[in-house]
Amino acid sequence: MMEGMLKTGTVLTSEGKNQYTVKKMLGAGGQGEVYEVTCNGDKYALKWYYRHTATTKQKKILDKLIEKGRPDDCFLWPQDLIKKKGGSFGYVMPLRPKHYKSIVDLMKRKAEPSFYHLFRAAYNLTRGYQMLHKAGYQYRDISFGNVFFDPDTGEVMICDNDNVVPNGTLDGGVYGTPRFMAPEIVRGEKKSSRNTDLYSLAVLLFYMFMLNHPLEGKLEAKIRCMDIHAMNKLYGTDPLFIWDPENDANRPLPGYQDNAIIYWDLYPKHLKDLFIKSFTVGLKEPAKRVTENKWLETFSNLMAGIMICPTCRAEIIYDRDKEENNIPHTCWNCKNELKVPSKIVIGKNRIIITSKTKLYSHHLKGDFDMHTVMGEVIINPDNPTKWGIKNVSKKEWKYIKSDGTEMSVPPGRAATIAKNAKIVFGEETGEFL
Amino acid sequence: MDVNEEIKMELKRPGAELASRPLHFFWVVDCSGSMFGEKMGTVNNAIQETIPEMQEAAEGNPNAKLLVRTLKFSSGASWVNPDPVEVEDFSWEDLIAIGVTDMGKAFDLLSAELTIPPMSDRALPPVIVLLSDGRPTDNYKPALNRLLKLPWGKKAVRIAISIGQDADNDILTEFTGSKDLVLQANNATTLTKMIKWASTVASVVSAPASRPDVLTTSASGDNNGLLMLDMDNIPDPNDIDTSDVW
Repeated sequence: MMEGMLKTGTVLTSEGKNQYTVKKMLGAGGQGEVYEVTCNGDKYALKWYYRHTATTKQKKILDKLIEKGRPDDCFLWPQDLIKKKGGSFGYVMPLRPKHYKSIVDLMKRKAEPSFYHLFRAAYNLTRGYQMLHKAGYQYRDISFGNVFFDPDTGEVMICDNDNVVPNGTLDGGVYGTPRFMAPEIVRGEKKSSRNTDLYSLAVLLFYMFMLNHPLEGKLEAKIRCMDIHAMNKLYGTDPLFIWDPENDANRPLPGYQDNAIIYWDLYPKHLKDLFIKSFTVGLKEPAKRVTENKWLETFSNLMAGIMICPTCRAEIIYDRDKEENNIPHTCWNCKNELKVPSKIVIGKNRIIITSKTKLYSHHLKGDFDMHTVMGEVIINPDNPTKWGIKNVSKKEWKYIKSDGTEMSVPPGRAATIAKNAKIVFGEETGEFL
Repeated sequence: MDVNEEIKMELKRPGAELASRPLHFFWVVDCSGSMFGEKMGTVNNAIQETIPEMQEAAEGNPNAKLLVRTLKFSSGASWVNPDPVEVEDFSWEDLIAIGVTDMGKAFDLLSAELTIPPMSDRALPPVIVLLSDGRPTDNYKPALNRLLKLPWGKKAVRIAISIGQDADNDILTEFTGSKDLVLQANNATTLTKMIKWASTVASVVSAPASRPDVLTTSASGDNNGLLMLDMDNIPDPNDIDTSDVW
C-alpha cells in the first residue's frame, strides 16, 4: 500500500465538528492525496493538500464552495473541511462508486458503453457543467481526469471541484490541462473563464465521440518530438481542426489517426456541425463557442435516433440530413443499407420508434430533463402489429388521427402510432412520420 | 430506458484505443564500488517502490505509452533490460555495486538507443534519470558530447541525482544542461524523495496533470523538458532530517 501524508487510523475533526477516520490512500495527484475516510459508519473521500498547494487562497475557495453547496447531483462537491495544526488541510466529499469508469478507461477501451449510453453520458456531463455555469462558476480544468461515468447507464460524476471559482475570477491557480486548454490560454493571452470551459468541454466531447483529439491530424503526425514547443504550436498558436471544411491541411492520417476517420462518417450532420463550429469559429472567437444548450439538444436527438441494424444488430445513428437528401443509412458494421423506422417529431426532437422508446420530459417541454419518463411505446397485447404510446405523465394528451378526428388520451391510456397522426402534449405537438 | 437492455450485449463501437506516443524512460545507475552498502540499498529500494506509482500514473494518461529501461555502469556499462518494457510489465532487478565509474560508457550505450532507429521518429521527449555518487573514471566527455548532439539526446529531459558529497556536480550539470536539475541527495530519506520526484517527471512530460499558474522557467540551457517541469515540486533537502549524512 502506498504511504502518504496521513496514516491509516488517524482521526481528524472537521470544521463541521465531524470525526473522520483515515482508512486508506486511494491515490495521489498534482495537488494532493485522496483518502477513503469514514464518519459514523459512512464512507467518504478526503483530499489532503501537499504543503505547497495548501494555500490560503485554496482554503478560501473551499470555504465558499462548501457554503454554497453543489450545483447539481452529479458533482462530488466539497462538503466539510479539515484543518490540522501547522496549516495543512483537506476537504471531504462523497466517495465515487466503484463501478464508475474514467474517460481514460473510455480512451483505452477498458470501458465500452453502447452508443446510446455514450450519448447519455455526454448529455449528463454537459448538463452538469451547464448547471455549474448557471450558478455563476467556472470549472477551469475540464479534462480526462475529472469525469467518471457508468458505462451501463450513462450516469456521470464530476470530481476535482476544488478548482471551481466564480466566473471572471482573475487570480491564478490551476489554468487547465494541456490539450484541453483553449488556444488563447495556451498563448498566454487570457485567463480561464466560462468560455474557456466551453472549449475544454468541446475537446472532451470530441475525444469521447471520436477517440482522437480535434487538432491532431497530419500536423501532429509530422511532429517528431512532442515537446512543449510543439504542443504550444499545435494547441495554441497554429491550431487547425482536422475536419475544417475550408482547410484540409490537417486531415487525419490513415494508419495513424484511424479513429478520427472511422467515427466522423458514422455520426449525423447535426453533431458534426457543432464540432466544426467549436473548432473553426470557436478556436478564434471565444464568445461564439457552442453553448451547452446546443450540445444538449443534439445529444437528446442522438439518444432518440438510435436504430438497430436488422442484419447485425449494430447501433446506427439516424441522420436527418441523410434522410432529407435521400442518402441511405448504411450499417458501419455489416455495410447493409437500412430503412429508417417510424418516428415521432416533437419540436426539435426526432424520435425513432423502437419497442423500447421512451418520451422524456425534455421532448415534451424542452426542459432538458432526460430522466423523467412521460410516455413509452407499448405493444397492444391483443394485436402485436398495433403499437401505441402510453401516457405515463400526469396530464391528459389529445390524439388527432390523420382524418382529423380528435380523442383524449388520459394518463395510463395509449394512443396508436399511425402515420400522420398527431399527439398534442400540451405546449408541444408530436407528429408520427 | 429506451434501447438500453436491447443494446447492452450488442456490438462494441468500432475503432481502436486512443493513439499514443512512446515515452522512453531511462534509469541510469552508478554501480561503482563507492555505491556499495546503504547507498545501493536505498537506490534499489526506492526505485522498486516508485514502480507501482509510475504504473498508476501511466494508467491515467492515455496519450503516452511509458517504456522503461535500466542501464548500469561501473567497470563498463550494460543494459539490465536491453529492450524497452511497458511500465505495467516492468520490475526492478536489484543492482550490485562493484568496480569503477565508467560514465562515458553509459553515455555511449544511451546514444546508441537514442539514435533513429532503434528510436522511433515520433515520440514524446525521453526522460533520463542519472544517479551517481562520484567522478567518472573514464573519458566521459566525447561520449557526453555525442549524446547531447543527437536530436533525441538534445530533446531528452535529463535529470541527475547527486548522491553524497563526492559526486562531481559540474559534470552532472553538463549532463542535465541546468543546475536546477541536479538534485542533491545526502542521505537515504532525501535520496528516496528525489528518486520519487524524478519518477513523476514522465507523467509531467507527457503532459497532463494540471499545471500551476506560474511555471518556473528561470534556468537556461537546451533542456527543453525544464519548461514542462514544476520545479516547486522538487523536494527541498533542507526540509528533510539530515541526521544520517553520508
